[in-house]
Amino acid sequence: MKASKPEESQSSDRYGGRADLKYALHLLRRNPIVLAGVTISVASVLLALLSPLIVNPTSWNQQPLNLRLCWNNPIVNWQIANVFNCGGSAVYPLGTDSYGRSLLQMIILAIPVDLEIAFEVVASAVVIGVFFGGLAGYKGGIVDEAILRVTDVFLAIPGILLAIVLIVVLGRSLPTLTIAVLTTWWPYYVRLMRSQVLSEKEKPYVERLRAMGAGDVRILYGHIVQNSIYPVLVQATLDIGSVILTVSALTFIGLTPSPLLPELGNLANQGIQYIFTAPWLILFPGLTILIISLGFNLLGDGIRDVFDPRLRR
Amino acid sequence: MIFVLLALSVLIFYLTRGLLPPTTALAAYITPRMDDSAKLSVARALGVATTSCPSYSAFVSLQGGCVVPLWGQYVGWLENALAGNWGLTLLPGISGTDTTWHVFFSRFPYTAELAIAGAFLTIIIGIPLGIVSATHNNKLPDHISRMVSLGGYSIPQFWFGAVLQILFVLYIRVNGSGLLSANSTVATRCVICFSGVVPGEIARYSGIPLLDGILSLNFPYFWDSVVALILPALTLAITSIGAISRIVRSSMMEVLRQDYITLARSKGLKENVVIYRHALRNAILPAVTVSGLLVAYLLGGAVIVEIVFSWPGVGNASLAAANVLDINFLELYVLVTAVIIVVTNLAVDVIYAKLDPRIRY
Repeated sequence: MKASKPEESQSSDRYGGRADLKYALHLLRRNPIVLAGVTISVASVLLALLSPLIVNPTSWNQQPLNLRLCWNNPIVNWQIANVFNCGGSAVYPLGTDSYGRSLLQMIILAIPVDLEIAFEVVASAVVIGVFFGGLAGYKGGIVDEAILRVTDVFLAIPGILLAIVLIVVLGRSLPTLTIAVLTTWWPYYVRLMRSQVLSEKEKPYVERLRAMGAGDVRILYGHIVQNSIYPVLVQATLDIGSVILTVSALTFIGLTPSPLLPELGNLANQGIQYIFTAPWLILFPGLTILIISLGFNLLGDGIRDVFDPRLRR
Repeated sequence: MIFVLLALSVLIFYLTRGLLPPTTALAAYITPRMDDSAKLSVARALGVATTSCPSYSAFVSLQGGCVVPLWGQYVGWLENALAGNWGLTLLPGISGTDTTWHVFFSRFPYTAELAIAGAFLTIIIGIPLGIVSATHNNKLPDHISRMVSLGGYSIPQFWFGAVLQILFVLYIRVNGSGLLSANSTVATRCVICFSGVVPGEIARYSGIPLLDGILSLNFPYFWDSVVALILPALTLAITSIGAISRIVRSSMMEVLRQDYITLARSKGLKENVVIYRHALRNAILPAVTVSGLLVAYLLGGAVIVEIVFSWPGVGNASLAAANVLDINFLELYVLVTAVIIVVTNLAVDVIYAKLDPRIRY
């Protein structure tokens, strides 16, 4: 494994694993905002993992219609004339929705759905971006031109419309939703990876590898990609929030597998019909989206500070 | 550009026609009461069935030589489109006798108005936020502006629009009844009526309400249009405000560290002159480059905002069109939007070269 040596020394010179960790911890201590980002994103992932244990996962299918649109949280008073109190002893901290289900429970069940789609989309986009973007940047010439033209086509259309058409044609389900959002997302990663590889491939260590007889595949995916992937990973963290926003926007406009499905945009969609009689229905799912997406954006900002040496002061 | 447009039209054509059985192309045009020969003639008119196809049932069972191959359908559609014949639209609520072209371009001015207002808000709020953030680095204004930009970046647009509606309808009352002119008839007359405008109706010269209000000197109508535009435009702009102010902030901070700024300050220039005359000119460049993306973003975001605010634009209609797979409307929407995006990107390149003499193409 002689060939991997220059790459190792390169990466440890520039990024240095342990120094990175130290710097990251230092950033966390110094910057409470990054700490908030880490806390929110870790908490939302934990909540997503634990949600089937907290809330009965089949409760989304039950419809206690006698409890629909009621509110019994004593701290918040909406001062809307027709808000009625949930009778009985059960407490619904965030009220109930139009099917009579507890909104808080539905939100807890919805978080893993959204996060899963977001992680799938971003991970697939990174893989596609690394493969095709790396290829385009490394090979250049006609391969580069062809891949760039294809991304041009996808970037010249409002992504949301492409996603809408795809979902309508392929049928409304969670996998289709993932595919539709991915279709609008991958071109950015291809572009980003390509520009990274373009600047990285001119470095002397690549020439050294080539002189040592390493193959193209090994040089590109074994060495160049490893050294130029950090900006892509930062972008991926920042994009988790944006993907959640896009997915929830799509389900919000009605492209959902089932109106009952606990998914944040879908819950908000139920809420918009009762926007002036039961405002909590749209307020809390949207607020959840905002908090999660804010958390990942803050986390992404923090990670960028760690990996971008220019920002170190 | 031609390549991008052609490829896009192929992509949309393939998605709407190529993935589902050919009968779905007819679904929105035929009614149960039609007999088979009428259905067959619809299929022929749409370019899906061949003229030699003997019967509708043969078409449904995909008999050989009955269904026009996909590329044939596309070529037929393209010939019509290039000749200016974009067919009828299937949008719900429109009887199917209105041409796609007319429906699209009677709705398009509303979307244009919304997008231009969104871009305007983005520039007049986003850029100052970025500047203030950079000049007051790590002080209170910086923290506030960073929170605004990060919040704007993370907020779901549909939710922000809904919250604005809840706030302004339920909790914040402006002089009791809202800002719209109370007498709706006031807003429907034209004060100066040019030819072709029926007295007593709103004058429509451009289709853009704001512009029409000014052109016909109908100020109640103009005022109503402004009031109706504020919340949707703000909702549309909120995300891009966050993006632009971030970019301006970081580039401004970089520029302010450079030597020529120190020189300008040491010459004894006022701080405002240094910032707005010397620094801003260079700091604004990265913001100009993303404005091409911004237009694409605003047009895409308009789909969601138009739905939340029931705005009568093309974004709202495109969802309805996608739901019935109205290929004519979708193609027109996608192609017009793509032309706008591509042209903006070209314009950005030109402006960039003007603003930054170091760049020569």
